[in-house]
Amino acid sequence: MKHPLLALLLAASASLAPVQAVTDAEVDARRIALDLAGAFANDGFKLRDGVWQGTLELGKPKLVQVNLYSGNEYWFSLGATGKVKKVAVSVFDELGKVIDSEPYQEGATAAAGFSPAASGPYYVRIELVEGEAAAFCLVYSYK
Amino acid sequence: MISKLGMLGGSLALFGWCASAAGQAPNLTKEEMADAVRTDDFSIPTPGELMVALNKQGKLDWAAKFRPPIATNYPSRAQLALNLGSLVADGFIAVEAEDSQQVKNLGKDILALAKNLSVPKDILMRGSSITDFAERKQWDQLKEELEATQNEVKESMHDNKDGDLVTLVTAGGWARAVEVISSHIAQNYSEASAKILRQPAIVSYLNKRLDALPDKVRDDPKVKNLRMKMILMEVLVSFPRDQAPSAADVKKLSGYASEIVKDIAKKDQK
Repeated sequence: MKHPLLALLLAASASLAPVQAVTDAEVDARRIALDLAGAFANDGFKLRDGVWQGTLELGKPKLVQVNLYSGNEYWFSLGATGKVKKVAVSVFDELGKVIDSEPYQEGATAAAGFSPAASGPYYVRIELVEGEAAAFCLVYSYK
Repeated sequence: MISKLGMLGGSLALFGWCASAAGQAPNLTKEEMADAVRTDDFSIPTPGELMVALNKQGKLDWAAKFRPPIATNYPSRAQLALNLGSLVADGFIAVEAEDSQQVKNLGKDILALAKNLSVPKDILMRGSSITDFAERKQWDQLKEELEATQNEVKESMHDNKDGDLVTLVTAGGWARAVEVISSHIAQNYSEASAKILRQPAIVSYLNKRLDALPDKVRDDPKVKNLRMKMILMEVLVSFPRDQAPSAADVKKLSGYASEIVKDIAKKDQK
């Protein structure tokens, strides 16, 4: 259902590639992350346009802060490219304590879903568990 | 809520669920949290996310939250940027109200403001897709489209060496969303709905970005007033996790947000 829009987003990112210095691998990673997030769209989750992307290396997890609202439900979807065999996504509260989230993991994709008990800042950690350094893209959906 | 999320297992069964390492992940250190990446288009939620959270507290008459049209030309680029953000927030309100005509009107105004900020024509073409989605009443797609338009405008600001204005777009949108939501909560106070307003990291992030603006932008009277009010608002949205702000504090928050929105939309006499 969202494919025309996703195509538009991908086209937009591709057209902006020289300006934003987004690599082909990052565009691929975005496609993979959006494909995964598309599964949640069928359950009423709305996809944010903003993405977080870059390169993921073994033994060097990355952390991003997000600000979430109590009452909402969220899914964080990660896609990676190249010779990645396994990635992971985990969520932490503002005190740094790991949150019990619904996990999903399949090869170069992973996701974590949860509903925050309190509004405020949270941290999403992404990690290359197995494989070689590669481009990643993290997106999130809410409802 | 988590059990509801579990229902998604059906749609994801094909991909294969597995036990996650998340449960065993060690806690984060203060240094790790301090070094975490923060970005405008990922760490700062859209006005739509706040509105969805409020919708869970009961049915709202979103059309009652519309405001009269504002100008699309202002003397300073800073003021244009602030109002661009506030109009995008208005777009989210119109989508929640499922009012096609209002979305189309706002889409036109957003693009008129963007044009005055020298945003390239190809990005302005997005106006037609906002209209198309509005005519087809594709509300979810419209939320993405509004955010995508805003993100592309911000990107073009970076390209035009106007990167300092990006924070102002975000701040303008945040202020308008907080104005609408906090005024609704003040009028229909409950602890549960008031707890939604807790967003200390957002205001702290925006205040740091506003403080880092070049003197020329920071000295713009509209930006000066915004910074002053945002410092006061930071205190009001930084209450403890397990507490709700009082009705009086929500009213104060609403008042500050409203003063910002009115001030940035006002065309000062020369």
